Parts: sequence; structure tokens; C-alpha cells
Amino acid sequence: MKNKIFSSLLKYIVLAVILAFLLFPIYWVLITSFKSNMEAYRYPPSFFPVAPTLDAYIKLFEVNNDFFVYYKNNFIVSGVTALITTILAIFSGYALSRFRFKWNKWAVALLLSSQIFPVVSRMISLYDLLGDINLINTMEGLILALIADMLPFTVLLMVSFFDAVPNAIEEAAFIDGATRGQILFTIVTPLVKPGMLAVGLYAFLATWDDYLHAATLIQTDTLRTLSAGVALRYLGELSYDWSLINTISIIGTVPMVALFFFFQKYMVKGLVAGAVKG
Amino acid sequence: MSRPLRKKLIPMKRSTGDIIFSSLLLLPALIMTIVFIVVPIVDSVIKSFLDFRIKNIISGQPGEWNNFANYIRLFQSQKLMGAIIATFSFVIFVVILQFIFGMILALILNSNVKFARFIRSIMMTPWVVPTIISALIWMWMFQPQYGLIKYFVGLVSGGEITNFAMLNNPKTALLGIGIAALWKQIPLTTLLLLAGLQNVPDDMLEAATIDGAGKTRRFFDIVLPYLKSVIKIVISMAIIANFKQFPLIWTMTGGGPDNSTTTLAVLSYREAFVSNNLGSGAAVTTIWMLLMIVVILIYNKLLGATDID
Amino acid sequence: MRKTISLLLAAAMVFSLAACGKKSPNTKTPSPSPGTASPTQGAVPTEPVTLKFANYAILEAGYEDFWNGVKKDFEAKYDNITIEWVTAPYGEIVNQVINMAGGGDKVDILFGEIGWIPTFEDAGLAVPVDTILSKEFLDDFYPAMLEACSINGKPYALPMYVSPFVLYYNKDLFTKAGLDPEKPPKTYDEMLEMAEKLSKLKTADGNKVYAFGQTTASVPISGASLTAMVYNFGGRVLTMDGELDADSEAFKQAFEMVKLLDQKGYNPQNAKLKDLRNLFALGQLAMYYDQSWGYNGASTINPDIKDFTASAAPLAGGKGKGESILQAATLVLMDNGTAQKQALKLFVEYLVSAEVLNDFLAITPAYPARQSMKDLEVVAKSEILKGAKDSLDKTMPSAFVPELNDINLELCTLAQSITVGGKSVDQGIADFKKAAQALLE
Repeated sequence: MKNKIFSSLLKYIVLAVILAFLLFPIYWVLITSFKSNMEAYRYPPSFFPVAPTLDAYIKLFEVNNDFFVYYKNNFIVSGVTALITTILAIFSGYALSRFRFKWNKWAVALLLSSQIFPVVSRMISLYDLLGDINLINTMEGLILALIADMLPFTVLLMVSFFDAVPNAIEEAAFIDGATRGQILFTIVTPLVKPGMLAVGLYAFLATWDDYLHAATLIQTDTLRTLSAGVALRYLGELSYDWSLINTISIIGTVPMVALFFFFQKYMVKGLVAGAVKG
Repeated sequence: MSRPLRKKLIPMKRSTGDIIFSSLLLLPALIMTIVFIVVPIVDSVIKSFLDFRIKNIISGQPGEWNNFANYIRLFQSQKLMGAIIATFSFVIFVVILQFIFGMILALILNSNVKFARFIRSIMMTPWVVPTIISALIWMWMFQPQYGLIKYFVGLVSGGEITNFAMLNNPKTALLGIGIAALWKQIPLTTLLLLAGLQNVPDDMLEAATIDGAGKTRRFFDIVLPYLKSVIKIVISMAIIANFKQFPLIWTMTGGGPDNSTTTLAVLSYREAFVSNNLGSGAAVTTIWMLLMIVVILIYNKLLGATDID
Repeated sequence: MRKTISLLLAAAMVFSLAACGKKSPNTKTPSPSPGTASPTQGAVPTEPVTLKFANYAILEAGYEDFWNGVKKDFEAKYDNITIEWVTAPYGEIVNQVINMAGGGDKVDILFGEIGWIPTFEDAGLAVPVDTILSKEFLDDFYPAMLEACSINGKPYALPMYVSPFVLYYNKDLFTKAGLDPEKPPKTYDEMLEMAEKLSKLKTADGNKVYAFGQTTASVPISGASLTAMVYNFGGRVLTMDGELDADSEAFKQAFEMVKLLDQKGYNPQNAKLKDLRNLFALGQLAMYYDQSWGYNGASTINPDIKDFTASAAPLAGGKGKGESILQAATLVLMDNGTAQKQALKLFVEYLVSAEVLNDFLAITPAYPARQSMKDLEVVAKSEILKGAKDSLDKTMPSAFVPELNDINLELCTLAQSITVGGKSVDQGIADFKKAAQALLE
């Protein structure tokens, strides 16, 4: 009995330590964002703001509000990317799951191998390429590059969702005279809604995190997305404004956390499906 | 990541219409992948054999073949070896610890702790924090004059160590970035392992308990083999992600101090976009891609099966 | 698997070759006009012209108002010329402008560090400023300063305002340490003596006070600052022909000093200039080297620093006389055709006029580069600059090589390797020479 209590105690201690590691930095950033710069630079640090202030938030809204342009841009870029990626992933996922032609294997090999290569390695040529089709420094160009970046993983994820749908339903519909297109759009697609959500959310979150594409392919400040905008604009050369940076960290993370908590059932299901079923 | 061609599915009848339909569905994704990923990569490999600089881009002149000069110069300088060592140290450190901590946390959450579902939700928060922002968070934690970690180290060491600055010391800087990477990546690992654990059938565990198998033995003999496929995916995802890691390192240290955090990603970016020698940057990425292919092949060999064939 | 990959590679190869073939060089760039090498005289362009101005300073707190004021006033003066900002932060703007040019979109003018000039010259972007600006205008600049911006005898940028690396110090801390706040050190030996007293101080919160700040973080500007330190000791990093010159006793002495400052704990480790500015603003740093305009960065953290900041000439060490290198905020000009060049000429003449610079130097301590502005009141009266007044005379030009950025980064690596890296100075220098030699080949 004693042993059991001990092991249970140990379990909770380990849990607490790991959770503290994961969550304390977020608390720390949160409270720093409510400190003034002079208090943030105080050492030893205060674990609760001595004189809580909303100055950094007010400053962000009133003075440094370019931030919200990045924010809006990122919603547009990530939203459109997620939408198109999902549609294309449904197409290709269905084709790869249901039709077994020789080239399928190559297509899968292509998608798998293109995931492992670093983004930096293709930036130089991507830049050239988008320049040739006059899409450099445009949101369209950035979105195209990001969709391409998202496709390999999401297509393969979608394949696993289609695989889980028995094809007896389709066979029946086919015999009833439905066309392939009708089967895909009216019968099968509704069955993989969780997969669509998982793919869409994954694409949204992953592109929200993109830095390299946006930093390289976009030069106009008003077209920048969040990560690039924050790294490029608020880490100025003359000085650090830590309470502003912490405020940005909070505001930049909140929508992702909200999105995750709201849709976590689908996210988790999707990620797990992608990983576990393999 | 998954195996798409399930053997159990009966292939549909092949007709010309099906071929066209299926190709039409596949084409957009394939074209996108080829145009925006494969072509740039091949192009970059070609450039690695050329003297290709910024002025070539600006004047539109093609680069000139330079007899492997990019590679020769790289191998002669110490930087390449340093970057390879830094990359592998980083990947090995992060992947192993990420797996261990992820597994511990997953086992605890799978063992009837209170509020397990709630904890599972909130522990995912670091995973959704954008990478750049994670870098900022940890730079702030490690800040050398008024950082929190410095304060903690001072407390723990009883005031002995007063100038702890993890990112400023070549011996610890990579470790500091590793901690930030772990912070962001442990949640997803835990989540996936937890899902795997929940798939382990209870009756098998019960049978083992009745047999009198101890906890440790049950874990290694029954649970672990059952988790094999999940573990394989989790680790390969971790290897790929950390091999490719760039924004975190670039933001936190820019490759310094004394090049101690210059990984292959940082080196290639520096060669290409700071020194403006695109050919040399491409040579670094080519070596990097080759190493990555080798690592993935060895890894697949070690774990018995390959994904593709 | 292997077969699959090789086939894919082959297919991709065909694709990419096709893509290369299609590409006609430079169709999108408005063709430069090589024929019109002579400066376009005072004409105002008849068509509406938009000048693209790449300027990182727009993003820096404290400068935005000035630059937007310049834009507004200039556009009011010439209503068919528009200024369009191209922004990126300090560390990225070089890439940005180069990337844009690679995509066929060339800016007309860039505001930047003197050390960036070789990159733009090497990329074929910068044009000699005398192809755009008139001789009378250029003749007013100090010849030495124009020369500092020249490559092969041609000025590839125009200095807008200049400064050496000056020594800023905190008068309050000097007083607290029992030193005379009006007598800053003149040599490194004097500095070390004072540093010993200063380093014993604590701030009001009980924090450490660093005695002397010299930036060593991995950014090119830190390398320029380390170069200035080598000059303080009478040494050089490169000869004027662009050869490596790291064997001198002075070079070694400078880095021995860097190591000593670290061992004594006087210098914040691995700091960027902005870290030093932060510490200085918070009263945790007694002395440090910075470009004179770095003061503006420190004062955005703590506006009260005007009460305790003073400047002094760079220190002398070894056999050196306290020489320094010239730092300049420069304007790099690019050629986008006759109309653009006409507008550009008007704009540059406006920007580097006494009227505009007077406003600028009121917010930022620095020195004008034009002889006619020698007695500009705002500079003469600046309390901040008073102490460093004569230091400009001791600045020396440094050689320009296209690899200057890399050499500067290697200098930072050298400084880091002998401080936080624990190498011996000799070993560090030997490694530096090897790395730098490989770059210069």
C-alpha cells in the first residue's frame, strides 16, 4: 500500500514538473506583458506585476498597429491556403485511395520525399520562379508556395481518411448510375468531414507558423504575415522593447489557442489518424 | 505518413473514364508539388555546381560551372564539419528527450490521473504557439541580465552562479535552443503517443496482469510492441522537423556564439543570403539533403520496414 | 524506391531545364540607360515619377516622424514626384533590396551603413553617385568622406551624416565611483583603471554595473566596431588593397584587450549594440563604444539618459593614437532610367540640405558630411557630442572588399572564440586568418 501511495505521489510530481515546464513560460510572458519596461527589466524579477499596466497593449493598438495589418494578412493567407489545400487534398486523396494505377506509387513517393527537404533549399529557386510569373511580392504568390508546402502531408492524411470509408456504398451508387463526380462530391466527401476539418486546421496552423516563405517572398510591409512581420519589424536594431514583444506574443498566440480549443476534437483525431493508422 | 494503398480495398474497375477522372483529381496536387518543390530543389542542386551570386540573379546571367569549387571550399573550411556536428547534436538531443518526456507524460495521462482530459488540452498550448514567438519567449526567459532562468539558477545554486547566460556560452547555447524546441514539440509527441496507448486493448493488459507480469515487463513486452508504428511515425516526424529547424535558431542566436549554433540550416542561409553566395548556399543544402536521405534510410532500415515500398 | 527517385529526378530535371530555357534575362527590369552617364542637369521630370526608397530607419522608434516629414515636405515641393517606402528592418534590408532586384524590381535609393556599399557595388546595383548628382553638389562634401565611400576611385554612395565609434559614458556612475565626470579616459590603460572602480558599483536594485561595453555579437556592425578597436591600437584589418593585415602587434593587442575586458567581467558577453544601449539606458553600463546616433536607441528606452550621457573620443591603445574608422549613414543610388534619375537628384539634394539635416541632427547626434554645414548650430550646440568633438579628424578610411560583411562576421567569431569560447588569442587569430583568407580568395 505504502508503495502504491509513493508511486502515485511520484507520478503527480513528475506530471507537475513537466506541466510547469510547458506552461510556466506562457504565464511568464503573460505577466510580463502587463509590466512596464522598467519593471520588466527589474532584477530579481517580480512574479506578479507590482504595478500592472495596459500600456503595452494600448501602445500596440495605438502606435504599433501595423501589427494588425500582419494579423489580417495572416488570416487571409492561412485561410485561403487552408481552403484550397483541403479541396486539392480531397481530390488527390480520393484518387490515391480509390484508384490503383501504376503511377499512384510514384505519386506517393513524390509526396513523401518532398516533405523531407528543407525549405531553405528551395527558397532561391522559388524566388526566381515566382519572379518569372510575376507573383513575387504578392499574396497570391505566397499562397501558392504555401499550398505546395502543405499538400504532401495533407494529401497523405486525406488518403488515410478515405481508406477508412468502405467502398461498398460507392459501388452501390455506381451501379445505380451515379457518375464518378457525383459519387465523390455527394456521397463520399460528406463522410470524410472530420478529415476535411483536420486537414484544414492543420494547414491553417502550419501556415500561421510560416516564417521563411513570407520573409523571403514578400517585401512590402503591408503584405507581410505575422511571423515575418513580428520578426522583421519589432526586433528593431536600435533597441529591444520587451514588454511590447511579450504583448505581441500573447496577441499573436491567442487565436491559435482559441482555434485549437474550439476544434481540438477534430485536430486530435486528424493528427492521430495521420500518425496512428499508418 | 500513412500507408495509402490498403491491401484490403478492392480496386475499382478500370476504364478509360476512370483513368481520366483519377488523373484529373491527382494532377493539381502533383503539378503544385513538382513546380514549387521538386523543380526548385533540383534547380538548387544544379546551382550548387555553379559560381552563382547575387549579380547573376540581377543581371539574369546564368552561373558558371566552377569545378566543384563550392564544395571544395566548404570541405576545406571548418564550418561545414562544425555545422554537421551541431545539426546532429541538436537532432539527437531533441529527438531522444522529446520521446522520453513525451512517453512519460503520455503514460501518466493514460493512468487514471485526475483531470487527464483537461490536462491534455492545456498541455497542447505550446504546440500552437508560432515558432517565432516561442523563440522570443525563450529569449526572454534566457535573457542574460534580467532573465528568469538566470534568477532560478542563482536561487538553486545559492547565489553561487550569478552570470548564467545560456545562449551566450558556446557550450550551452545549442542546449538552450534545444530546450525551446522541446517545449514546443513535447505536446504533440505526447498527444500521438497517448492516442497510441489508448489503442492498446485492455484485455491484453489484463491478461498480462493475471499472468503476474510486473508493470515494467508489461510495458516493454506488450505496450511497446503495440506502439511500434506510432513510435516510428513520431520519431521520424521529430527527426525531420528538427533537421529542418531554422526560424527558432536564427531568431534566438543567429548561429552564434562562436558558430556554436550554426547548423546546416543556418549555414546555408548565411552562405546564400548573408554572404550572397547562392551557389555555396546551394552546396550546403545539397549536402544537407543527402545527409537527411541517408538518415531516413538508416532509420527505416533500423525499424524494419520502409514507408515507400 | 531508388528507381522511383531517379525517375522523378529525371522528370524534374527536364522541367527545370525547360524553365531555365524560357527565362529571358531581365525582361522585367526597366533597362538602365548606359548612354546617359552624364549627370542630368537640374531638370524636373515632366511625367509623374515614383521613387522607391529602401529605408530601415522608418521601422525604428524615434525616426518615423522625421522620415515621414521628409516625404511629405518633398512631395509638397515637387507634386509630380512621389516617394514610396520599401521597408525592412536593419538586418534584412540588404537582402530585401537584392531580392527585389532579382525579381526585376529595383529601388532607386537605399539608406544604409557604409559597410553595405561593397555588396551593392558587387551586385551591380549601385551606380557611382557622380553619374546622378552634379559636381558642384558633390564638391561640397569632405573629400575624405566621399573617398571612404569609394571603390576603385568612384564614390558608390553619398554620406548623409557621419560619426566615428565614439565612447559614451555615464557621468552619474563616474561620480558615484569617485571619478571626475568631466575627465573621461583617453587611453585603454586609463580606462582599465577607472573600470576597476566602476565595476564595483551596483545599481539601485542591486544589479551589476558593467564597466565597458564593446559589441561582439554576430552581426556585421559588431565587426565594424571591432575593426575600429583595432584602429584604436594603430592596427588594420585589411590593407587599402584589400589584403588581410592581421599579423600586426596592434591587431593582437586589440583582441587581447577584448579578452581582458571579458575576463575582468567588464564587458557584457556576446552583446549586440542594442543590448549595450539597453544596459546603458538602465544605468548598468558605465562606458561603451557606439556610433554617435546609437544614443537615440538608448534614449527610447529611458528618455532621462540625456542627464547623464556624455561622449568622448575613441581610446588610444598600444602604439596607436586612437584612430577610428568612419561610420556613415549613406545613400546608395541606383539607375532606373532618366526620369527617375532626375527625380532622384532633386530628392538627394533636398535630403542632404542644411534645412533637412538640421531637423534630423536635432533628434540624432551625428556630424554632417558637407563642408558648408561645418558650423551647423545644432551640432555645435550638442551637449551629447561635445566630448567627442575632435574625434572625426582621427578617422581613417577602411578598405572595401565585396566580402566585407563576411570579414566583419569573422571578426565577431574571433572575439567570441577568445571570450566565451575560451580560446587563446593566438589560436583565435590563427583561426580567423584561415577563415578570412578563404573568403578573400
